[in-house]
Amino acid sequence: MTSGPTAVIASWEYRNAVRARWVLTMAVVFGLLCVTVTLLAFRTVRELGLSGIGPASATLVNLGVLLPSLMGLLLGAGSLAGAREQGLLAMICAQPLRRSQVAVGAFLGLTASLWTTLGVGFGVAMLILSGVARGADVPALVTLIGATLGVAAASVAIGVAVSSIVSSRVQAVAVAVGLWIVLSLGVDLALAALAPSVHMGPSGLLTAILINPLESGRILALLGTNFEGTALGPFGAYLITTFGRWGTVGLLVADLVAWTVGPLLLARWALPRKDL
Amino acid sequence: MPEGRPRESAASVGVAVPVEVRHVTKVYRGGWGLHDVSFTLPMGVIAALGGPNGSGKSTLLRCMAGLARYEGEVRLHGERLDARPGPRRAIGFLAQTVILPEHATIDEVIDLFARLRGADPQRLPLPAGFLNAGTDRIGELSGGQRHRVALAIALVGNPTLLLLDEPIASLDERGRAVFWEMLATLCERDGVTAIVSSPSPSELRAVADVGLFLDDGRLVREEDFSGVGATIMHPFPSDDEQVGS
Repeated sequence: MTSGPTAVIASWEYRNAVRARWVLTMAVVFGLLCVTVTLLAFRTVRELGLSGIGPASATLVNLGVLLPSLMGLLLGAGSLAGAREQGLLAMICAQPLRRSQVAVGAFLGLTASLWTTLGVGFGVAMLILSGVARGADVPALVTLIGATLGVAAASVAIGVAVSSIVSSRVQAVAVAVGLWIVLSLGVDLALAALAPSVHMGPSGLLTAILINPLESGRILALLGTNFEGTALGPFGAYLITTFGRWGTVGLLVADLVAWTVGPLLLARWALPRKDL
Repeated sequence: MPEGRPRESAASVGVAVPVEVRHVTKVYRGGWGLHDVSFTLPMGVIAALGGPNGSGKSTLLRCMAGLARYEGEVRLHGERLDARPGPRRAIGFLAQTVILPEHATIDEVIDLFARLRGADPQRLPLPAGFLNAGTDRIGELSGGQRHRVALAIALVGNPTLLLLDEPIASLDERGRAVFWEMLATLCERDGVTAIVSSPSPSELRAVADVGLFLDDGRLVREEDFSGVGATIMHPFPSDDEQVGS
């Protein structure tokens, strides 16, 4: 998928995003939150006489889903729409390249910058956790980081798609924030309200999860901390029984990939149809 | 005595390879952006694109640069300019307003566009002193200097058709003089054709070969400033007219 202009745009976006102060600020905030959560969980572990990283990683799961998704959506949403308002997108798209390459390049560069940001936060947390981690905790940590990176990539892709469709940066950011609220809270609240009345079974619940990349990432990360799925209750048992352990992981990973590729295809379709 | 920069002969402008704009029509939701605009230009001329605000100057340049969808066609060297990347290699485009990233350096910005075009960033056809290339950040430059960077971007890769939307708006008097001299050199020496828009084309009259005047999206007037027959503009018959005749 990567070609010359795509790589050039990706490199440019990465450099600009890393240099932007708010990305650096978010890296520091995310790092501090990770450290705080880890230290608090570490204290609990010691007070209860437990070993392992379970309490810390369980809290990191929510942190790793909510904050990176918001950052990804905002980064993606501001990219093309912002460049369009600045006239820079017109100057770039007047070059001998395809606009789809601009959309994909922006996605790659922003995702790489967000992954760098997350790497800083997780890196510090992992250093602290390494004091209590056991060998058996490694898969949980790897799954947690993988799920977070997956959610981040999907969020950037959704943001880029939004950015390629709407008319202004303000609109793009508003849509991104609205989407984040819906995906992080709205779907859960709707499910809590509807599930009892519509008698939503496990398959209905699975569908509700698959249509929400944040939920897919969260379930994936939780499965990493508890591979038997018992932490997810009866629903976890349903997943493991129906799809098997690796099948469930594969299903959730495929869902995150679909939530990344789908919006990118939408951006590739929409941007060339936009007057600049 | 016609105005415009002195020209020696029409032959020097290479009239065999014209820029063709045929029946270009752009419709916005609110009405016409461009209404059946047609003209041809030979290579090696400076064309002033005039008209009041909202007359369609920027829209025409954006259509020609492939940035806006339109009906009709634009051809350069006989090849249609559209969404394909290849033909657009010949175009250098300057948007009316360009805000470059403040933390980027001049070299980085030039390098970005040079890499996108597969061109050498060191080989810009700029006169000495026009651009203080280097490690200066965009945020440290004045408005005029930033505009010079944007102009330099349009020249990356030695395009043969320059589409410049109000390129002199932010330049001081000396900057304008240098810019016009540079443009004249590019046109005469390299056969570059430049279409330069301005809401007040009186200044362009002294340096341009021809004038194209738009009003309400229509090409309402054409003027030959140079007086050497260097420009041959004629509207193309529409398809309906061709069928009817």
